Amino acid sequence: MLSYLISMATFVGFFMILALALNLQWGMTGMVNFGIAGFYALGAYTSDLLTVEAGWPFLFGVAAAAVLGLAFGVALSFLSMRLRDDFLAIVTLGFAELVRLFALNEDWLTRGPRGLPIDVRPLSGVFGRDGYAAFYLAIVAVVVLAAFLVNERIRRSPYGRVAKAIREDDVVAEVLGKNVLRFRVQVFGIGALFMAVAGALYAHYTQNISPDHFTPVVAIFIWMSVIAGGAGNNKGLLLGAGLVMMFLEGTRFLGEFIAFLDAEKASAVRIILIGVLLILVIRFRPQGLMPEEKFKGTGEPAPEARHGKFVMQGLNRQNSKKGG
Amino acid sequence: MKITITRRRLLGASAATAFTTALLPRLTLGAAPLSVGSLTPNTGGGGPFGPNIAAAHKLVAEMVNGKGGVLGREIALHQENSETNPETAIRAARKLVDVNKVIGVLGTWSSSVTLGIMPLCQEANVIQMCTSSSANIPLKDKKGLVFNFMILSPVWGEAIGDLALRRGYKTYAVMALNNDFTKSMVDSFVAKVKAGGAKVLTEPFYYNGGQASYRAEVSRLIESKPEAVFIPSYVTDFTSVYKEIFRQGYEGKVITVSIATGSKFKKVVGAAADGILHGLPVPSLGSPAYKDYLKLVGLKDTGAVQHPFGTAGHDQMSVLLLAIASAGTDDVGKVRAHIHKIANPPGKTVSNVLDGFAALEAGEDINFTGASSDVDFKTPTGVLKSRDFMMWEIKDGKDVVVETIASAS
Repeated sequence: MLSYLISMATFVGFFMILALALNLQWGMTGMVNFGIAGFYALGAYTSDLLTVEAGWPFLFGVAAAAVLGLAFGVALSFLSMRLRDDFLAIVTLGFAELVRLFALNEDWLTRGPRGLPIDVRPLSGVFGRDGYAAFYLAIVAVVVLAAFLVNERIRRSPYGRVAKAIREDDVVAEVLGKNVLRFRVQVFGIGALFMAVAGALYAHYTQNISPDHFTPVVAIFIWMSVIAGGAGNNKGLLLGAGLVMMFLEGTRFLGEFIAFLDAEKASAVRIILIGVLLILVIRFRPQGLMPEEKFKGTGEPAPEARHGKFVMQGLNRQNSKKGG
Repeated sequence: MKITITRRRLLGASAATAFTTALLPRLTLGAAPLSVGSLTPNTGGGGPFGPNIAAAHKLVAEMVNGKGGVLGREIALHQENSETNPETAIRAARKLVDVNKVIGVLGTWSSSVTLGIMPLCQEANVIQMCTSSSANIPLKDKKGLVFNFMILSPVWGEAIGDLALRRGYKTYAVMALNNDFTKSMVDSFVAKVKAGGAKVLTEPFYYNGGQASYRAEVSRLIESKPEAVFIPSYVTDFTSVYKEIFRQGYEGKVITVSIATGSKFKKVVGAAADGILHGLPVPSLGSPAYKDYLKLVGLKDTGAVQHPFGTAGHDQMSVLLLAIASAGTDDVGKVRAHIHKIANPPGKTVSNVLDGFAALEAGEDINFTGASSDVDFKTPTGVLKSRDFMMWEIKDGKDVVVETIASAS
């Protein structure tokens, strides 16, 4: 049982890293990314190929995945930044399919649908089976913590406030003299970096990857985590990631209580139940389990902030006039 | 201190309670039951076959439990859905291995799932029984724990190539759905027809499934005007591919695998399906085990192939339980050795798990012969030695048997 909980916690860890990255991109900055699986696969294949085929050590493989994730994130956001909102969503979805189809068809590199085995794991000889699982969980936990701290630091900083301003209305941010494009590219790149790192950790954990592992369903789980947990709230989406995994996996244990159903029906009931639970969360808690904290000022706003507020009010008034 | 019940707390607490109670071990009486895992594709690409496999696992386990179990222990069967997706299947297998402590995970169907859960099964020393044709499976099975109840796909390609040659086709073109299953099949098909003096006119190529149209692919395939084309694929994409072949007016022979031409395909395509040649490894239709199986699942013996994968599910559970009975222990190392012992000759031929138990009790050696095949493995690997292979031609919307061959792998 313990080893099961450890392995589920490890999977929750992957979800958490992805959810934190998505929160940075969407929850804070408002950029819709449906291409999570693409960056996840990119990281997994990068680290896998470099460690297995080129013989790099584990840490170098993960680091290379991070660099490549960042590079692709920046490139993709540059390419698609003039496309906004829904268009960006489609571009990212396309990117994920591109990565998956590349992995499926470029047989010489990725071995296509046969998949890649990975036997490189850090310190694999040191621990026994159970000990190793706990050790790997610790590695994942460290990365989750790092991603969380980076996210929190950004959220609390002036940088994060700009990101939120872009999310709410990028024209206002632009008017206030912020370089919206630069912020967007940076935030998207950092998010993609974390997604690729999660992919690398996943590959070394499961020890066998094929394009089938990186279907768009992964992105849906992560979106569920962020929405259920509370977009914009880093603690909330950690909870959300745990909750989604609990829905997905906890419902397996119901099989023992509905033994009167055959396996086919029981698995259908399980999938229906997951949907119902999520609908309930969204219905009764649309803002997520832990909504985003309201920005609290220090009481005495800084001069430029006061000025900014004034400008924003002015703009709002103008907008409402136009709208009316 | 005042405790307020917020919605958030209530939700959290109830979710936590539900989770922990679900995890609590259930009270059991008597000797500890023997846990066996079943991981079948009840939904997704394997959806048409998974439920049959799952039901067969359950039927055999219930039959044995009805007679007091194996080694005096009840069989606790834990069934999970792989969703034909390795990402999900890994977590389901984790539950089977780490929570239910199963001795084996039976019933995986697609190669990506079988390969995906292999590292964790090998690490935990758990037996795998599958019907996956990828030639990579034996290569990656370092511990000899994977028993495959399906012949590997190169054998399919060879059998189909052999028939095509005897039909007298001299020029071919080949394209296939891009997956693990078809890759090794194409290689062996091409090698076979080339060895037989025929020509493959264009380089074989692979297409991606799930496309709206296969126009470009089909044009490229028939460009060189081959006498016959070989297109191994699944039913979902083959229907669209075939439509395109028809539309472009190709008049040569179309050859594929039977999983692409099920009853739904014939219904959709209608008379245009006539003339397609297709083949599949099949249960040994005349064997007593196959007839027993049909009775067990309540089907009539129509003389046609039914449940090509359900029969394998029946054999998987039977072989595992007989090996445990023969080994007298649930120690995986010993059970593994006894699988070879009870499935392969020499010994008294038995085709049913209960007859097998009786023979073992009487101190006899047994050779289990199943509903899906003779279930003989190439010792020391878990690769199946042979399975009947049947070829059909569609005539007037119906499958007409062309021939049946026992194929060696």
